[in-house]
Amino acid sequence: MSAFSAMMWNGFREARRNRVTVVVGVFAAVVLLSSTLVTEVTVATFDRVLTDFGLGMMSLILVFLTIFLSSSLLSREIERRTIFLVVSKPVSRRQFLLARLAGNMLTLGVLLVLMTLIFLGELLLFGADITATQLLASAGLWFELLILSSVGILFSSFAGPAVSAIATTGMYFTGHLTGDLYTLASRSESGAVQAIGKTLYYLLPNLERVNFRPQATYALPVDASTFLSGVGYSLAWALVLITLAIAIFERRDFR
Amino acid sequence: MTNPSPEAPPIQAQGLHKTYKVGFWFNRTVRALQSMDLQVDAGQIYGLLGPNGAGKSTTIKILMNLVRPSGGTARLFGKPVEDAETRRLVGFVPENPAPYEYLTGREFVTLAGQLAGLSGQELDTRVTEVLGSVEMAGAEKLQIRRYSKGMVQRVALAQALVGRPKLLILDEPTSGLDPLGRRQMRDLILAERAKGTTVLFCSHIIPDVESLCDRLAVLVGGRRVREGSVQELVSAQASSMEVVVEGMNSEQVRGLGIPLESVQALDGRVMLQVADVDSQRLLGGVLGAGGRVNRMQPARFSLEQLFMNALKESGRASSVGGEINT
Repeated sequence: MSAFSAMMWNGFREARRNRVTVVVGVFAAVVLLSSTLVTEVTVATFDRVLTDFGLGMMSLILVFLTIFLSSSLLSREIERRTIFLVVSKPVSRRQFLLARLAGNMLTLGVLLVLMTLIFLGELLLFGADITATQLLASAGLWFELLILSSVGILFSSFAGPAVSAIATTGMYFTGHLTGDLYTLASRSESGAVQAIGKTLYYLLPNLERVNFRPQATYALPVDASTFLSGVGYSLAWALVLITLAIAIFERRDFR
Repeated sequence: MTNPSPEAPPIQAQGLHKTYKVGFWFNRTVRALQSMDLQVDAGQIYGLLGPNGAGKSTTIKILMNLVRPSGGTARLFGKPVEDAETRRLVGFVPENPAPYEYLTGREFVTLAGQLAGLSGQELDTRVTEVLGSVEMAGAEKLQIRRYSKGMVQRVALAQALVGRPKLLILDEPTSGLDPLGRRQMRDLILAERAKGTTVLFCSHIIPDVESLCDRLAVLVGGRRVREGSVQELVSAQASSMEVVVEGMNSEQVRGLGIPLESVQALDGRVMLQVADVDSQRLLGGVLGAGGRVNRMQPARFSLEQLFMNALKESGRASSVGGEINT
């Protein structure tokens, strides 16, 4: 096993043995299963409600876990000095950071797959249709988590867990609102407001690009080009954020 | 990228200095290290001795690329320390090591072996070997969070040894260990030296340095104030003689008018320490005053005295830490 794989699998193992991850995972399963109760108060569109509730819960829980895991990913290693015993091996800081990100995304990916399986199982149980958009919405969520993890790691490379968590949470909300910001700015008569709104739109990641949950809820199709451009968009943002994180992390002193 | 050369000196550092910016606005500076030169040759046990804040750990962190120097150069086996490959030949134990607590001892040492480039059967065998050598085979399946401090120190040493390093860098390896643990750690260091491993370690525990080191550097306030073998350093001090006089009391001896370094009244005797140049005058004075010289021998100058002298000379007898500028 290469040094990179060893560190990545160790990150996964850490998350698996972390009480928070386990509790959140169990909680997610319980919440998803309890979403069947929603069908009791729904007259005709329970498959739509089930999809909306299921994907929404998956998103909420995994975003929470992403913020929790990524915002302390590097800072906790530095604070606890566990990093000393790893970067003193023939491992570059860049490798270390990328392997930690990979471990994080592996953890989130495994949880996402498990949650998606529970969600699909429920749909089958209630005889609701399983659509390609539901699967794309689930896959899109992983790319949204990738951007958020990259933000968390970027802040974690120079700030403490609290600052990093606040920044990542803020980015989650603004990331889902940048489209609205752009629209509002475009409608403004003030040139300055237009400029600020558009600048912010281009400076911040637009998480709606990989959010296919509304389409899944209303059983609308998502064409391949929309999905792939969203994937490309999130990969590009992750690349920029992680490059910045590496640049900062490589210059840091571990005192 | 060329590999580090095991034939090159394990450690070479020239003119290293490190300044930290501190304070809310980063407007104060602490000079943690100033003009540090260091060369450690193959097979040596080299000690860095100094009080807290002397720059020992900073030197080690620069060598391990944990901290970037503000100036100067540092090389391991002929390669710059920034090159990750240099660390393939190095095992490192930091001060108060913090392995991943969620892993068992065996899992952690296995991870360290993987990072050092071992795999498969070779990795398994080596992990078993090093855990046995640090006497941790019985506790290897326990999570590290359940370990005592001594056990953590041992498992940290095991992870440093797993890659068969040619150079071991140990930051305060005996700190916090009980006497038995310290003894075992010393034995392990000597066993590694016997295998040809070079060892650099820092400590403020003088007996450890004295009993282990071939050479040492004394650091005070971020500067190297002494360097050499223990023997050289101790014998380079101004020599003095220890004299035991009978038939005279302390006052009578002081009344001879010869400068004395110390006077200690014993039961019916007086033990004196006098500079070598004054010893013959003292001898004549005592005999002339009717006293008897019971014993006269060169005073043994300990490393502790050397250390204290170095502190006094640098004007930092009681202070710790680097030089702070506001």
